[in-house]
Amino acid sequence: MAASTERNERDGRLGGPDELSEREQAAVETLCYRLADDELVLGERYTEWQVRAPTLESDLALSNIAQDEFGHARLWYDLLEDFGYTEADLIFERDPGAFRHATLVELPFEKGDWADAIVRSYLYDAAEHLRLEALENSSYPRLADRVRKVLSEERYHREHARNWLERLTAGAEGRERVQSAADRLFPHALALFEPVGESDADVDALGLRTESLDSMREQWLDTVLPFLSSLGIDAAPELCEGTDVESLLPESVGRDGSHTDAWPELHAEMTRTYRDLGRTEARRIMSDPDDAE
Amino acid sequence: MDLDTVKERAGPREFGPGDDMPEEYRKAATRMIQFHANSEIMGAYLEKPFIRQSPSLDRKLAFSAKTQDEIGHGQLLYRAAESLGVKTREQMLDELAAGEGKFLNCFHYPMTEWQETPMIAFFVDGAAMRRQATLKRTSWEPYAHAMDKICFEEGFHIKHGEDIMRELATGSKRGQELLQEAFEEWWPRILQFFGPTDDDSTHHDFSADVGLKRMGNDELRQAFLNAYIPKAEKYGLEIPEKPRIVEEDGTYEVIEEDLDWEEFFTVAKNEYPSGREQINGRKEAQEAVAWVRKSLDDWEHAGTAGASTQRAAD
Repeated sequence: MAASTERNERDGRLGGPDELSEREQAAVETLCYRLADDELVLGERYTEWQVRAPTLESDLALSNIAQDEFGHARLWYDLLEDFGYTEADLIFERDPGAFRHATLVELPFEKGDWADAIVRSYLYDAAEHLRLEALENSSYPRLADRVRKVLSEERYHREHARNWLERLTAGAEGRERVQSAADRLFPHALALFEPVGESDADVDALGLRTESLDSMREQWLDTVLPFLSSLGIDAAPELCEGTDVESLLPESVGRDGSHTDAWPELHAEMTRTYRDLGRTEARRIMSDPDDAE
Repeated sequence: MDLDTVKERAGPREFGPGDDMPEEYRKAATRMIQFHANSEIMGAYLEKPFIRQSPSLDRKLAFSAKTQDEIGHGQLLYRAAESLGVKTREQMLDELAAGEGKFLNCFHYPMTEWQETPMIAFFVDGAAMRRQATLKRTSWEPYAHAMDKICFEEGFHIKHGEDIMRELATGSKRGQELLQEAFEEWWPRILQFFGPTDDDSTHHDFSADVGLKRMGNDELRQAFLNAYIPKAEKYGLEIPEKPRIVEEDGTYEVIEEDLDWEEFFTVAKNEYPSGREQINGRKEAQEAVAWVRKSLDDWEHAGTAGASTQRAAD
């Protein structure tokens, strides 16, 4: 109660990590898990293209993007560490079922399916852009402060994806592959806008996020569908026929802890060394985001 | 330029694309730089799985960046090789996929466990650094220029490798044992990094005469051993009894007959089974994205055609 009084005194802004009420902390955590888990797992999948991309140049570009995503994940996990969690708690010793990323980012790539990587990146980064804009004026200052750096990097990611989509869809084979990737990925991209649970309502109520998930999904559809359509890609034909968006969702959405089989497998690979060596902590080798720059 | 003039003038960064170099020089330089570029790619191929297996997020970032650096080095080196006008990058990449491109012996062996990573990232990169530092003074300027950037980045890689090794060496008993095991497996390969003693190869070493190579293998191996045996010992690693190493006044020498040179030459011919597998693994990955490269070509041609039509219309 004391904390929420403080929130009003601060003109709607929340205090630091130690000053939050239980409810406020739960909402901040919900939001940070959404952000951090998405970025970590997407970056992880992108690295599959390292040394396997179509050209040396595209290899370098996607490696950059993967590292950006890891860097962002680091920023968001760091905010969770404010509450006393360690990286081991958050990644290496966490139950895979407790991860809150959308299933879009966990799906494996089929060999050589560069169209998947590009379509996935496009769908994700368009959503990511909206999500970050909705955090620029977040009531939690620790979060709002970190958004700007991330926004500038994500702009490059969107350009990268759009340029590639234009090139790939210029020919018949590429267009077919992009269409097939869009068909497969679109439902999982919708999962990006699913709530983690009840606490997601608090994310809006407490002003942590200034746009609701539903509203962002509408804006996202208004962005991606026309662009894809301009390239000859029909992403969700059902939507034109008046089908409810919710009915297009995949069986597992990720946000609620339900995942595809690919996720526990991936998590096991990611944590293998940590387990094999009997580690009990994940060591930091880079400076803390608060001390950097 | 005739060969005698080349040999006379063969100083550091002496020649570049503006010079009319004899074919023999251009071929020798291409062979050398192509080998180097191929090694960057195949080294990256070997290390890439450890991005995923890194035991912390920071380490994952560092491993991804290192792998990316190696691809970047490959890109730079193929460009330096292309500047000799003998082969295009596509030709060189195709040769690598076809099993015709040669690369460093150590990258023909499989690497599956975390404790093996410092064997490459510390010892092999450390050995490579010895050679590369001398190549800043190679006579082909574009190659020397590439080495400036590469050596700078390799410095970070070796620190990264040393840091992983330190973590293992100062961590749990199990970690220490696994590190020692990995060391014993990799040590003979690391010793063979610089090849057999010069006797035969330098007998008539063209690349040294024309300033492409700046230091002989023997000298390089010597310098590497003098620096790295003490480092290995510092991290508690025991040097295996075989191959025998003789120490005299702080200088080390390997008894070469203790090393398996038959295996070395099988590796060098791209015929060692695990090396074969790695070459083919990379080839398959390249073939799987051949459709993208074709799409890019189509798009570029369409773009050029479109642009000229546009100009014509104007």
